[in-house]
Amino acid sequence: MIRDGGLRIPAAARARTDVRAPWSRRRLLTAAAACSGALACGRERRDGRATASLWFTYGGRNREVLLELVAKFNASKPRYFIDAVYQGDYFEGLAKLRTALYARVAPTLSHVIGEVVPYLAEAGVLEALDGLPGAETLDVVPELGQARSWIGGDERPLVALPFNRSTPIAYLNGDIFARAGLAAPQSWSELRETARALTQRNAGRVTRYGFSCPISWWFWVAMVGQAGGAVIEPDGEVSLGGEAGVEALEFWQTLVSRDGSMRPPPGRDYNAWEQTNQDFLAGRAAMIWTSTAFLKYLEDNARFPVVAAALPRERRFAVPTGGTHWVMPRGASAPERAAAWEFLRFVHATEQVIHWSTSTGYMPVTRQAVQRLEASGYYRTHPNDRVAYDQLEVAMPWPWSTELFRVQREIVQPRLESAVLSRENARALLHEARLLARSSG
Amino acid sequence: MNPTRPFHPYLMLLPTALLLAVFFFYPLFVAAKTSLTRWDLLTPASYVGLSHYAELVHSGELFELFGRTLVFSVIVVLGAGGAGLALAVALDRPGRFPAFCRSAVFSAYVVSWVSVALLWLWVLDAQAGVLNRTLAAAGLHPPDWLGDPRWALFALAGVTIWKITGYATVLFLAGLQDVPPSVLEAAALDGASPMARFRRITWPLLGPTTAFVTITSLILSFQVFDVVRVMTQGGPVRSTTLMVYAIYEEVFMNLRVGRASALVVAFFTALMLLTSLELWIFSKRRAL
Repeated sequence: MIRDGGLRIPAAARARTDVRAPWSRRRLLTAAAACSGALACGRERRDGRATASLWFTYGGRNREVLLELVAKFNASKPRYFIDAVYQGDYFEGLAKLRTALYARVAPTLSHVIGEVVPYLAEAGVLEALDGLPGAETLDVVPELGQARSWIGGDERPLVALPFNRSTPIAYLNGDIFARAGLAAPQSWSELRETARALTQRNAGRVTRYGFSCPISWWFWVAMVGQAGGAVIEPDGEVSLGGEAGVEALEFWQTLVSRDGSMRPPPGRDYNAWEQTNQDFLAGRAAMIWTSTAFLKYLEDNARFPVVAAALPRERRFAVPTGGTHWVMPRGASAPERAAAWEFLRFVHATEQVIHWSTSTGYMPVTRQAVQRLEASGYYRTHPNDRVAYDQLEVAMPWPWSTELFRVQREIVQPRLESAVLSRENARALLHEARLLARSSG
Repeated sequence: MNPTRPFHPYLMLLPTALLLAVFFFYPLFVAAKTSLTRWDLLTPASYVGLSHYAELVHSGELFELFGRTLVFSVIVVLGAGGAGLALAVALDRPGRFPAFCRSAVFSAYVVSWVSVALLWLWVLDAQAGVLNRTLAAAGLHPPDWLGDPRWALFALAGVTIWKITGYATVLFLAGLQDVPPSVLEAAALDGASPMARFRRITWPLLGPTTAFVTITSLILSFQVFDVVRVMTQGGPVRSTTLMVYAIYEEVFMNLRVGRASALVVAFFTALMLLTSLELWIFSKRRAL
């Protein structure tokens, strides 16, 4: 790595940018990004350790646990150093990563949501990982790794390693459910009945909703699967689940508009997720669907017993996987890549996987870690931790589609909101979405 | 006054002209150029001509966005201007209490947008918010201000008015200082009522201040971003997706740099036209 007055610019990137026009857009962006990167990272290693920058996108408890792992790595590896920098939520981090990739000042290591991995991989901006030393011994749980997270993922060069992997799960307020003598719903009809039974009103105003769930693509995808469909068919056709997609959306409409038993939280993206958590913790929602990522956060902050449960079925049980995968953007120097790869091996070691998983709620991503947790009796004493992992049996892989992210954000997500919040016709909206996805794909 | 050398005025203008060229005209030129391409930052850009503009017009998105932003701006400009003027007239008097009120009203303006947005997020929460709990205690059925697409835009406009009214108040207070007391006294001696004095003397003399407040509030309301980002993220159902937020969303969330650039150009043009129209109206009024 070349050092320029404190600005760390990969040698390869310098070589490439030097031949361009002196005031090219890329160069301006590079300078701006490098300046902000220098301000963000700030530190220059004087002890000769190979340093890799890591951009991460967690707040709260998960951030603390990750920084613990980074600190442990930095303390235990005298030849390497990881410089971890917080970059906002998943979408903000992705926006910054793309800008940095364009400006050729991308971090050595980052983690991105699964929907965007095919797009980044096909754009040719990710390092292949399968040739790196020890890659074949990482013992990743196939459903959480590239092999089975995407259809045909094992036939492609390895570009992503699992990190914080999750599935959506249900969280129940143990006190409310015990008082009502109810159990976790196993089907959509039970979910509807339970939500209605647990919704409380005072003078016509809802004081507690039976159910709350962000109006988010991820949960809709789960319901499409539960209704027997798939959002994108294995051959790449964007079907949006066909009839199953409509059923899923109409079910939400029923709960929100007809029954008034489900609260669609205000805000979009992760703001809505956070609001869902707050409603649950404050007792304003008796049951929520959200990511297993919040398991420890909810358990630690709830003043009632938190019970985790699998999502219900309509025609079958089904969930998508979520969370993020580690990726190494291209352009880093060999020492930077070596430091990043050493860190990836470190976080895939059983001890770290277990620490990460049991401290956050994310699933353990290696088989050895799962076996050790089982053998130690951890899952017997912490049954909530097991729910997401058990759901992997019915996990649906994502298609390897470069359009997935765009279909999600631009085409489907706004229409889910229109259907649920503005009570527009679900069938017509999804038909329109299908046409849009096909025409502009 | 004649310059010593003919080029002196241009030399004086040069620093500002350079700043404008680098930070305003060059980015605008880049945006105009990029708007003719399909580009996602990572894969090579492809020339698509005016298709982004055609698509924005054809889909109705441009008019929808502009209309929504205009509605928001009109509410904010009228609300902040009206409240600012009323407060300025009420507080344009000596004494400790009016001085305290002037400071209190202006204090909201110096608080950061993000802090204001977070504060109002708490106030406007449908179930736990102070506002709805108060209204519910009074026997009313308040709406979900930020979760209902019919109300969210008005809720954000209300927050923006609350934030910038102090700014309008201070400007109107300054404008009121310029109204000659002798004219008002003469009118009072002639039997003009307080309302007549305001309509016939104060309000016309506040013309330049009103023009300034209106134009700056208009630009400010057109550029609003923070409250949208923090409070609603453009939702629910895009009901609060205003122009600047839409540009941000297109470029940073949807990976569409070309389309976002087309929105930038359209936004710039619309803002230029609106400001020109406003200046023309005020110049006509002054000429009358």
